[in-house]
Amino acid sequence: MDGKRLSVSGVIMGRVITVTSGKGGVGKTTTTANLGTALAMRGARVAVVDADIGLRNLDVVMGLENRIVYDLVDVVEGRARLRQALIKDKRLPELCLLPAAQTRDKDAVNAQQMIDLTQQLRAEFDFVLIDSPAGIEAGFRNAIAGADEVIIVTTPEVSAVRDADRIVGLIEAAEKGPASLIINRIKPRLVSRGEMLSVEDVLELLAISLLGIVPEDETIVIATNRGEAAVYDPNSLAGRAYINIAQRLAGEDVPVMAIPDQQGVLDRLLSLFGRRRT
Amino acid sequence: MSFFNGLFGRKRDSSAELAKQRLLTVLIDDRYKLTPEMMAQLKADLAEVLQRYLPAIDAEQIEVTLSRGEAHDLLKADVPLRRAAEPPSKR
Ligand SMILES: Nc1ncnc2c1ncn2[C@@H]1O[C@H](COP(=O)(O)OP(=O)(O)OP(=O)(O)O)[C@@H](O)[C@H]1O
Ligand SMILES: [Mg+2]
Repeated sequence: MDGKRLSVSGVIMGRVITVTSGKGGVGKTTTTANLGTALAMRGARVAVVDADIGLRNLDVVMGLENRIVYDLVDVVEGRARLRQALIKDKRLPELCLLPAAQTRDKDAVNAQQMIDLTQQLRAEFDFVLIDSPAGIEAGFRNAIAGADEVIIVTTPEVSAVRDADRIVGLIEAAEKGPASLIINRIKPRLVSRGEMLSVEDVLELLAISLLGIVPEDETIVIATNRGEAAVYDPNSLAGRAYINIAQRLAGEDVPVMAIPDQQGVLDRLLSLFGRRRT
Repeated sequence: MSFFNGLFGRKRDSSAELAKQRLLTVLIDDRYKLTPEMMAQLKADLAEVLQRYLPAIDAEQIEVTLSRGEAHDLLKADVPLRRAAEPPSKR
């Protein structure tokens, strides 16, 4: 147990986990919202923090955009207390959002302020999930400054994996590692046709531990339209995937969920045939 | 194409295999700044040194690869030795 997680009175405080990626648009915000919700559904006290200053997004993904009064920069600059800025989720009372400032740029906060902020948050919550901006600049550095653990999100694509590898190196250098990996937007049919990098390929390339995998799933689009996390639909593949990841994050000894290959009858017959042949 | 992939496992020229090989080169270049040209030079130098001790080395066939491991990356050289057609000392 490292020192940051013991309070003065010796009470164990919450874990600060940053979700980052290098490349933009691979699913950091989606992941933060769904893991935060799934952990809160398990009864944990969870704060999700939007550290993408200037490009506020986590609020709309979670459907909380109408409730924002103060933001992260207001707290850091002392215009609001943390409690005033935290927004309670509509359904889960133990889930709170700290929104990013929309009208400020990334220089509005520094690493030390982020460390102080996470220290305050970890005293109140079991999990503090930080949604990092893309890139490897100041915004990323601020987002990992106060983290105990880092989750790297990637997709099975050349550029996303390359950027993820840059992040692996930077996390190691910042002594925040070892980072764990979520591979998002997997298309099982493409993988089985040899036209998409497989989970094994990506793991071999990045050589970090696998936290979980999430399939490409239109449920994500629909859930995002509604401002609800996909984990509210436990029949959806993406919802189940994020619940599985939350279990593993919480320390449950469960294997990574297998994504069923939703392929056609012909494909299935062919692969059955192929399996017998090899 | 996909029919045969399904039957016989991943073809060497499938786009995923290509992506993986390209990524391997790019990641090594990113991390170690080892360009394909430098890699070729490394092979040539390696062959030269090894041949001082082992004339049977087939310089053309040396394969140098960098791979990734959990704790560290690995530089590996496969150096084939030409076998003498006849065992040398049977006279
Ligand atoms: N598994 C998935 N299936 C389908 N769509 C997805 C999936 N994951 C993410 N998306 C979609 O991809 C888009 C980008 O996702 P998201 O905003 O979470 O990425 P991000 O990494 O936070 O992006 P940015 O770098 O801009 O912050 C969104 O429209 C989201 O709905
Ligand atoms: Mg985002």
